[in-house]
Amino acid sequence: MPYLGSEDAVKELKKALCNPHIQADRLRYRNVIQRVIRHMTQGLDMSSVFMEMVKASATVDIVQKKLVYLYMCTYAPLKPDLALLAINTLCKDCSDPNPMVRGLALRSMCSLRMPGVQEYIQQPVLNGLRDKASYVRRVAVLGCAKMHNLHGDSEVDGALVNELYSLLRDQDPIVVVNCLRSLEEILKQEGGVVINKPIAHHLLNRMSKLDQWGQAEVLNFLLRYQPRSEEELFDILNLLDSYLKSSSTGVVMGATKLFLILAKKFPHVQIDVLVRIKGPLLAACSSDSRELSFAALCQVRQILHSLPGHFSNHYKKFFCSYSEPHYIKLQKVEVLCELVNDENVQQVLEELRGYCTDVSADFAQAAIFAIVVVQTFRDLVWLCPQCTEAVCQALPGCEENIQDSEGKQALIWLLGVHGEKIPNAPYVLEDFVENVKSETFPAVKMELLTALMRLFLSRPAECQDMLGRLLYYCIEEEKDMAVRDRGLFYYRLLLVGIDEVKQILCSPKSDPSLRLLEDQAERPVNSWALDFNTLAPVYGKAHWAVISKCQKAERHDSELPTNASFAISGHLVPEENKKVQEPPESEALMLVPNLQLSAEYFEKTWLSLKVAHQQVFPWQGEVQPDTLQMALKVVNIQTIAMSRPGAQPWKAYLSAQDDTGCQFLTELLLEPENSEMQISVKQSEARTETLPGFISVLETVIGTIGDIKS
Amino acid sequence: MIHSLFLINCSGDIFLEKHWKSVVSQSVCDYFFEAQEKAADVENVPPVISTPHHYLISIYRDKLFFVSVIQTEVPPLFVIEFLHRVADTFQDYFGECSEAAIKDNVVIVYELLEEMLDNGFPLATESNILKELIKPPTILRSVVNSITGSSNVGDTLPTGQLSNIPWRRAGVKYTNNEAYFDVVEEIDAIIDKSGSTVFAEIQGVIDACIKLSGMPDLSLSFMNPRLLDDVSFHPCIRFKRWESERVLSFIPPDGNFRLISYRVSSQNLVAIPVYVKHSISFKENSSCGRFDVTIGPKQNMGKTIEGITVTVHMPKVVLNMNLTPTQGSYTFDPVTKVLTWDVGKIAPQKLPSLKGMVNLQSGAPKPEENPSLNIQFKIQQLAISGLKVNRLDMYGEKYKPFKGVKYVTKAGKFQVRT
Repeated sequence: MPYLGSEDAVKELKKALCNPHIQADRLRYRNVIQRVIRHMTQGLDMSSVFMEMVKASATVDIVQKKLVYLYMCTYAPLKPDLALLAINTLCKDCSDPNPMVRGLALRSMCSLRMPGVQEYIQQPVLNGLRDKASYVRRVAVLGCAKMHNLHGDSEVDGALVNELYSLLRDQDPIVVVNCLRSLEEILKQEGGVVINKPIAHHLLNRMSKLDQWGQAEVLNFLLRYQPRSEEELFDILNLLDSYLKSSSTGVVMGATKLFLILAKKFPHVQIDVLVRIKGPLLAACSSDSRELSFAALCQVRQILHSLPGHFSNHYKKFFCSYSEPHYIKLQKVEVLCELVNDENVQQVLEELRGYCTDVSADFAQAAIFAIVVVQTFRDLVWLCPQCTEAVCQALPGCEENIQDSEGKQALIWLLGVHGEKIPNAPYVLEDFVENVKSETFPAVKMELLTALMRLFLSRPAECQDMLGRLLYYCIEEEKDMAVRDRGLFYYRLLLVGIDEVKQILCSPKSDPSLRLLEDQAERPVNSWALDFNTLAPVYGKAHWAVISKCQKAERHDSELPTNASFAISGHLVPEENKKVQEPPESEALMLVPNLQLSAEYFEKTWLSLKVAHQQVFPWQGEVQPDTLQMALKVVNIQTIAMSRPGAQPWKAYLSAQDDTGCQFLTELLLEPENSEMQISVKQSEARTETLPGFISVLETVIGTIGDIKS
Repeated sequence: MIHSLFLINCSGDIFLEKHWKSVVSQSVCDYFFEAQEKAADVENVPPVISTPHHYLISIYRDKLFFVSVIQTEVPPLFVIEFLHRVADTFQDYFGECSEAAIKDNVVIVYELLEEMLDNGFPLATESNILKELIKPPTILRSVVNSITGSSNVGDTLPTGQLSNIPWRRAGVKYTNNEAYFDVVEEIDAIIDKSGSTVFAEIQGVIDACIKLSGMPDLSLSFMNPRLLDDVSFHPCIRFKRWESERVLSFIPPDGNFRLISYRVSSQNLVAIPVYVKHSISFKENSSCGRFDVTIGPKQNMGKTIEGITVTVHMPKVVLNMNLTPTQGSYTFDPVTKVLTWDVGKIAPQKLPSLKGMVNLQSGAPKPEENPSLNIQFKIQQLAISGLKVNRLDMYGEKYKPFKGVKYVTKAGKFQVRT
């Protein structure tokens, strides 16, 4: 039939609908109506037979009624005047003896989505709330929310809200859940449905009667309830226990989140829960449904923030199988990176190396994948230096697959820092030098410069010639200022003498033994419990903040001036700070060069001192640790420890000493959500007059680095 | 919660849409198509996508995308599980979840979607309750319908909606009372070049088909319940009883349902029922290579291994393959480079093997890595973990039901690296 021109089809159907012979034959009549629906779902405009369809709704045949209702809900907004005729039939059906007809009619009436329908549906909805069939009550309760939306969210009908609250005691479990859903929508402006103690306990006791969707949603609503006493809290947790073993992963995750939030003052309970859901989570990770296993993997990564070793025994679960989709492989590789420990590092690296030459994936995909793997190698070297050897062995052979700038940077960095252990390092770098002209990313060129300088120090014979070529290119031909500056800087550094080069490039690297202070890998459970089982872990926290900010802005763009004032107040703080800190004529500051503080000493001093000064500097994007470390070195500030690039939050610890022996200990903190770098300075001696000088030195360095980047 | 649903086929046509709240324009799917383009492979589009006004959460099932439009923050697992339930329901109703089946039954599809969600919230999703609201199409029924003019919609409300136990309808009656359990175990494993196991574990489920009158109260016990590592339960199971006595005690839903799923992890030794001898080599500087794979039984507890299929994704440079199987038949698709060898049963006297030459693109460098073999098989009447049902008792009803337990072991993601 769709082969006919749509107009012919409509005409023919219209004729058929009016034909009294067809109307008399129940079966033929229904078939014609089915054809109308079929056309409608294929996107043909069927609105011109509205009148005939309304007539067809006056029937005892329930299928026919259903079809006509479906039709009416689709076209009512286009034909509001005709739809009013349909309302009559619907109203009559709302008092039909068959509860199914009553329910269907009520649901369709509430879904008409046309102006002016409110006055007709109010009474049927109220009657529906008191209907003796639970099927009708379910429809009516949700109808309340639809009715409220039709009113344009304006006023809340207090009597209706009370009625819904009392229906929370209904004996039908789905009515109860629907009441929660409906109240949540109606009371959106006031912050949603209120869960007080009696309601909370009532819901907890009804939980076992609900289906999995109801359970998952009730668990979500219960997050709002705050138990009064410790005893009550543990009673609730006991009731929830069995839901951690539910067959629905959604329910398990919902229950877990509730546990984590309720037990926020009892870390051992939180840890205990995370241990117990290990099984279900792992099962979900290898589920048949790829989407499920993806979502589960995201949650696993979240848990790893607090319990880094939690899944280490199961690291083989996260080995990729070649037929898995790309997004799952990426998640798995990232999880693997976090699970590496002394015992499994060999196997994991062996596995990762295999991925670089995955035959099944087509080339583009393999390349992207290899980049991630190499970045993982880099992160591994940062985090656990004991596996450097193994990474060096795994590296040769990866370079062929890498195409993208970040992957190249990671590879070049590895080659530069550990080049003495990788036999073919100079030759791989040589390829990059040969092709430097066609390289489009300045960041890759900078990385290449630094790496080659480093490698030159350890293997001068093999590198001298190409370093010369690279420097020549950067200084004479390169158009990017930052790259040229870096090239000039190295050139002049080399002129000063090889010892100075060594001192700057090979200055004590951030001490890896300082991990606790440096990376704070173990974030408290409470820092992410609120995001658990939401969309946030799917995107990663920083990215999520951006997304949700955009979404909010877009959604409320027409409304509220409050937003604007909020934005202003955000700026006020740092500016005030700045004014207060205008230096009261500081003394000249001299920082001692070549200060060598040990990490242990730093940690001890840092923990014993109070913060003397705190300030924020504007900052965009990620930090290039190398550049920063080098710049700081130039002004005689030593870097004690730094997070790996891209870590969130990113931190660095610095130390410096002036000529009077006063030490400045500094923490740099970059929170991904704010576009600013927070610095906290501690002083070994309380001499406030030197402080502004030190701050301004820091500010200059950070400002300069920030400019280069942007 | 769930605003709208779009069904999209692999060539990017939106062939069905349903809106539970206001209508969301089809153009929202452009974000989905954009993500598909980025993903290099249409199937590999990430399950969660954000757009300026909505989130799109999608699943990929049987070559179809179910794309749902979400406007508020929602647990992603919840939506993913729900979409799978929708697909399961189509499968259940039409025997397959394909574009053709959905288009043929478009009216029933709309009826189902209407009952499964109201105002965006999941309502009736249990298959036995849905089937009373909307009867599935059968050949017999359509014949009967056309004669009698009756419909495929239940005329009465499902009684299950009114019973105190949400998963079971009241007043069930059968002339033959039967309870069947299928213990199905799948082995997930990665075997390395030398034949040693890199990783192996068993994922098991017990599916039940219960046709018992009245309100039977069942308890199922195992010979060796300690085998089960992580168990997740159907809501009907009394969890406390399992914790204290390791007995599954429950009032079952009517019809087919999954009783438990469990995992037996690699800590307990997982028996690997087949071994593979392989030698796949590509010669340097010549456009050919050798392929030789033999499969044999191992730790199969004396049962026959059947339904064996071997699939191999060959490297891109492979042009064609000239092989001779001692048993079964093979195909090689030169476009996708997939070799499929349908082996069948293993007869212990003569082990099946597949040997021959591989033609490579001339001049291309030899492939760096050898491909992995994916193996499918099936063993009847064996649960590889050794799990055994001890007894099934029924309380609450007087009649004697007919009881049965069937075991089967299958390969899950079973991969042999070469």
